[in-house]
Amino acid sequence: MVDKLVSLAEAAALVEDGMTVALGGMSTQFHPMAFVRELARRRVRDLTVVSMVCGIDVDLLCAAGCIKTAVIGLCSFEGFGLAPSFRSQAQSGRIRVEEYSENILLCAFQAAARDLPFMPTKAGIGTGIEGLHPDTLVRINSPWGEVLACKALQPDMSVIHAHEVDAKGNVRVLPKPVWLDVDTAQAGKKLVVTAERVVPHETFRADPFKTTFSAFQVDAVVHAPKGAHPCGMLPEYGHDANFYIAYQQAAAAGELDKFLETKVLVPEKEYLKLW
Amino acid sequence: MVAPEYTIDELMVVTLARAFDNSVRAFNGAVSFIPVSAFQLARATHAPGLVWVASSLGVDPYPSKIPESTLDSALWEGASHIFTSPTDFWVYAMSNRLNTFCMRGAQIDRYGNINNSVIGGDYHHPKVRLPGGGGMADLSCFCSNIFLWSTVHNPRVFVDKLFFRSGLGYGDGGDHRERLGLKGGPQMVITNLCAMDFEPKTKSMRIKSLHPGVTLDQVQESTGFSLIVPEGAIPTTAPPGEEQLRVLRDVIDPTGQRHWEFRHGM
Repeated sequence: MVDKLVSLAEAAALVEDGMTVALGGMSTQFHPMAFVRELARRRVRDLTVVSMVCGIDVDLLCAAGCIKTAVIGLCSFEGFGLAPSFRSQAQSGRIRVEEYSENILLCAFQAAARDLPFMPTKAGIGTGIEGLHPDTLVRINSPWGEVLACKALQPDMSVIHAHEVDAKGNVRVLPKPVWLDVDTAQAGKKLVVTAERVVPHETFRADPFKTTFSAFQVDAVVHAPKGAHPCGMLPEYGHDANFYIAYQQAAAAGELDKFLETKVLVPEKEYLKLW
Repeated sequence: MVAPEYTIDELMVVTLARAFDNSVRAFNGAVSFIPVSAFQLARATHAPGLVWVASSLGVDPYPSKIPESTLDSALWEGASHIFTSPTDFWVYAMSNRLNTFCMRGAQIDRYGNINNSVIGGDYHHPKVRLPGGGGMADLSCFCSNIFLWSTVHNPRVFVDKLFFRSGLGYGDGGDHRERLGLKGGPQMVITNLCAMDFEPKTKSMRIKSLHPGVTLDQVQESTGFSLIVPEGAIPTTAPPGEEQLRVLRDVIDPTGQRHWEFRHGM
């Protein structure tokens, strides 16, 4: 089997301006932040980013000017407040917000992953979300009752952060994936996985029940220790409150550009020393 | 016997907890300190059969405290099962086997619909961009028992017309929700001033009880639409009992996370 282990820079170079990229993670956990930082360093432009329950991932890409359209269920920093760049750029019209909901996006990903035109749900019926998307959410009257059809959404690339990979491209999320990363990963035309550790291939053969994704499904793997930071990567580390507070303070003072330049978009090795 | 002293957060938690019985199979989302306290309080006192899934992932946990985030894994301490979200949580939520959810938003209307998306301007150039509904649009449709809470009761929150409907209550009122093929709906609203329910025919918000010291005029002035007033004397919200306060303060939330929303004016 071909070796799929590449550098962070090589993986990020697979993303071209204007592509649709889905990011794994949930709120303050699991977002593939090392990959996000590398996209920001490369100043990729006009991305459509899909992140169901997002926060710092989408905000950082907004701040770095990478996003044209944010496809989200929610974007906030939870207890650390509203996402400042997402908010200001949505208000100014700098980015377009395509707001769906967690379950609707999950359905759209599940449809794409299964090569179905749509997935039905009762989510969002009667809400404003339904009315925002006449082209992708359609109420259909099936012989067995009315449902909302969520059109398949296939990103050009899905990116998730995991605990372990091998060089062949096998992936482990330990002790098991709990959030929505499996569906995010399966939806993309391509899948890039960043990971805390690269382990020998034999580790996977020794306990195949623990494998989350098989190499055939994965296009590239990247060694990215602390690759979810400042988000948490359970059960190994929690989110970094100090980072969120510093980011919010910089944004409030109008100094986010300087903060990114000196504290975030420095080379990844330096970033890991800073935080 | 002298009634114990308590604060408004404790009155809200206890009043919400009293609405939960053994049929409740609840879960919580982000920034949900009041509901998380109330689920645990009900389970520890009058509803031992209540099931609570912390952060929608940790089944029946007994955390030693409430962490700073209600999605934090510290909230799952002692759980008997850690769900996988799409194949466990969403399946049980979609089928109403998890049946109880508490929602809060920037705006709430008389039918218990919620806005947490945008205010002012037009949708794509809003005056204020809020986080979005997350799972609110979903769970408000799936769940038969919805409870709303707001630590701020004023006309900016309780509005005549939502700018955007992120979460569904009774829709346009009456039998609208039923016609959409959806079960149940909002059962109760708890605020810092009162408890409210929904008049069965119009599904419009109705005063249920006033917190001690609060007048009907005060609540109506603090609400951007006309509330339905029940006939006869309006009850006063029952104060927390001594045992409820002890369990809440000493066992469930010893670090006082339930004050969070009050501190942040949400």
